[in-house]
Amino acid sequence: MAWVAAALVALLYPIPFERSGYIYYETVGFLVLLNAMLGIGWNIIGGWAGQFDFGPNIFFAIGAYTAALLFIHLGWNAWLGLLGAVVVSVVICAVVTYPVTRLRGHYFAIATVAMWMIAQPIGATWELINGSRGLFIPVAAGGGFAHGMLTMEFAGRGKGLGFYYLALLLFALTLWGARAVERSKLGFYFRAVRDDQEGAEGIGIDSRLYKVIARCLMAAVFAAGGVLYGFWALAVFPDQVLEVNWNILPMMAVVVGGLGRLGGAVLGSIILIPISQLMTATLGAGPLAGRGIDIIIYGAVIMLIAGWRPNGLLSLPWQRWAGRLLGRAPAQPAKG
Amino acid sequence: MTLFLQAVADGLQMGLLYALVAVGLTIIWGLMEMINFAHGEFMMLGMFGAWGLSVSLGWDPLVSMVPLAVIMYGVGVLVYRLLMRRVQRGEIFTQIFATVGLFFFIQNGVVALFTSDYRFVNKSLLTGLSGANITLGDVRIGVPLLVGGLIALALFLILYLLIDRTDFGLALQATAEDRDAAMLVGIRPQRMYAVAWGLGTALVAVAGVILANFFAVYPQAGLSFTILAYAIVALGGFGSILGTLMAALLVGVVQSVTAAYFPPAFKDAFVFGSYILIGLFRPQGLFGRF
Amino acid sequence: MPPLLQVESCTKRFGGLVANRDVSLVIEPGEIVGLIGPNGAGKTTLFNCISGALHPDEGRIRLDGADISHARLERVCRLGIARTWQVVRSFGRMTALENVMCGALRRTNRVGPARARALELMAFTGLAGKEDTPAAGLTLADKKRLEITRALATAPRLLLLDEAMSGLTPIETAAAVELVRRIHRELGLAICVVEHVMEVVMPLSHRVIVLDHGEKLTEGPPAEVARDERVITAYLGDRYRARA
Repeated sequence: MAWVAAALVALLYPIPFERSGYIYYETVGFLVLLNAMLGIGWNIIGGWAGQFDFGPNIFFAIGAYTAALLFIHLGWNAWLGLLGAVVVSVVICAVVTYPVTRLRGHYFAIATVAMWMIAQPIGATWELINGSRGLFIPVAAGGGFAHGMLTMEFAGRGKGLGFYYLALLLFALTLWGARAVERSKLGFYFRAVRDDQEGAEGIGIDSRLYKVIARCLMAAVFAAGGVLYGFWALAVFPDQVLEVNWNILPMMAVVVGGLGRLGGAVLGSIILIPISQLMTATLGAGPLAGRGIDIIIYGAVIMLIAGWRPNGLLSLPWQRWAGRLLGRAPAQPAKG
Repeated sequence: MTLFLQAVADGLQMGLLYALVAVGLTIIWGLMEMINFAHGEFMMLGMFGAWGLSVSLGWDPLVSMVPLAVIMYGVGVLVYRLLMRRVQRGEIFTQIFATVGLFFFIQNGVVALFTSDYRFVNKSLLTGLSGANITLGDVRIGVPLLVGGLIALALFLILYLLIDRTDFGLALQATAEDRDAAMLVGIRPQRMYAVAWGLGTALVAVAGVILANFFAVYPQAGLSFTILAYAIVALGGFGSILGTLMAALLVGVVQSVTAAYFPPAFKDAFVFGSYILIGLFRPQGLFGRF
Repeated sequence: MPPLLQVESCTKRFGGLVANRDVSLVIEPGEIVGLIGPNGAGKTTLFNCISGALHPDEGRIRLDGADISHARLERVCRLGIARTWQVVRSFGRMTALENVMCGALRRTNRVGPARARALELMAFTGLAGKEDTPAAGLTLADKKRLEITRALATAPRLLLLDEAMSGLTPIETAAAVELVRRIHRELGLAICVVEHVMEVVMPLSHRVIVLDHGEKLTEGPPAEVARDERVITAYLGDRYRARA
């Protein structure tokens, strides 16, 4: 029941803003959905497989660049480009990740950071992708909504709305895919590796293989996100797509919401991004602009949430609260 | 060849300073396995402390090192007691989340108070020595950086002896290895964690004080050191303080040699590439115990 | 027909300590073999070498004639050897049923059949009713039972039980022994049991192998071994030194 309501809200969210002309809020929605999607992807390796992956943004970058190159040089439509981006990203992920699955825990974490650190100068200097000058995606303006949905080419007025729905579509696909994985053999095996790697090997699970698979699934999601971002930004710059935020933000969203649970990524994104946007808009502008007051408060809020609910906000008794709000007496103690 | 040797010499000196930046993290992360995204921010606070005291009271950083260490020790303990102790109840990822918040808070707090302008410590013992060199063959070793490095080394060794040779250090290691067992022999883990945070913070702040003699002081100075510190601790191996020293020296040398022959943007890429290479052969770092 | 498992001159060192020295043994399909010996005899190390958690420094381990001396843990399981661990292991954050399903998924790729098999096995081993309990919340006896169930779900031909009875009360121990008997009777697999408790091992095993200080001391039917003077000396604490 809650799902249907949430779906309706998600579908209808931009309409009032479209009417009133406050396109900015559609963009906020876009960012929330993009981060929620990335969070779901990261949750596969971080929440389910329990591996510390702090460098997923290399696949975000690979996705963005692949689709951009395919569009610019071969004229491939964005969706085809997305397919290509996912394939390239997964292949690269498999190749670079398998060797480092020898490393456990924190050592693996630093290896993922290492990949990111190595990607940065490559991104800044590689001629094929124009290095730090960036790749521009020349998109034709003037197509309608339907055309935009089919090609990810939105320009001008319809951009906010169009990308919101594109993000919603990709988010929904990712969520659906993740649920399927969660219920499959993969989901079981990932969590077994997380809970007790040697014990998992003792019942025949090749832990290295499944760590790679989990990471590749994440890479696929991040690649898709990168494609979406690239066509939204209309350009791909190395320091933008390899920015530290694409590493931390999805992870923070998942942790804030509740690690390991699909709803966590969504809840976390819904909370974190609007807060940061709100801060920037109110405290980051006007007389206090440039002094970083907004980020100070944002940091304080994060610390408060972390200290108050270290297991994520999903662990709050939402059902009980909803029940009370709707006038129902609490039937039984909330579970979990 | 001279270029190479010079680069190695420069790298070793930087490495000593890196060792001091990293050793605080060795205690907090390498031993106690707590993640602190804001590690470099404490270093930056040390830098600002040194600059501030130098400009307002004329204190030499080597002098203000002592009160700043004490203050930052207190800050570390405070951070643990107020924030990290609660966060420990959750997943380890929550620690990243919490310290990211700390990172934003501290960095932008400093921006708000001091703006992002670059500041410099102009009058100090070490800056006064600038230009003095020791020459070994064709290799020139700048005295200020050498002295800074030696101070860092001395502090590092004091800490090593503290952790390795004293009862207190043993208690710390015991808590790191098996918290419940430590409790059974009367060690209070909470106290150990608080002290670890205090020590770790104080040490990295002192590193910042020394670095303020050589580098620009600005709010964003921390993050790159944070990332490098993590690489150094992991490369050296968890649980090994001497490993951190070795790794720091190696990192300093790799950076320096890389910068001598390649575009400087690749400095860190080579460091991290070395990490992966070494990790493939020694999955627990150079000297890791666990 | 070759024996199911052949251990040929297995030697395993940890630095200066020789945990297993030149140990040879054979396990036939369908038999229950007890592996006993005082603490430090090298029993768990031998299990680790057989199951692939460790690899022998010298010697060979063969399953159905094929050399598995250097096969990794998961491959050995796929080839048909399942084990439990000296310190009980479980996937703490998953339910008991999910734990067993992980084992069952070794033999099928689909979650539905895996769940059915897991339910079946849990009923068989006496864990019915505890399917939805998080594994971390089970009692020790149930955790051990779960570990065995999970191992059974991988459809092994040889089951290695490493001190499966340790830490159990006498009643729990009797139940565990009954379970092992039932497993053997109805599933017909070979079982190798490492145990300290003589009252458990002797009645259960067809054959007993004795290790002491890393070497095989003797083997034979339980009654014979129990009367063997060297075995008695080894257990009663007189230092028994094997000639090199």
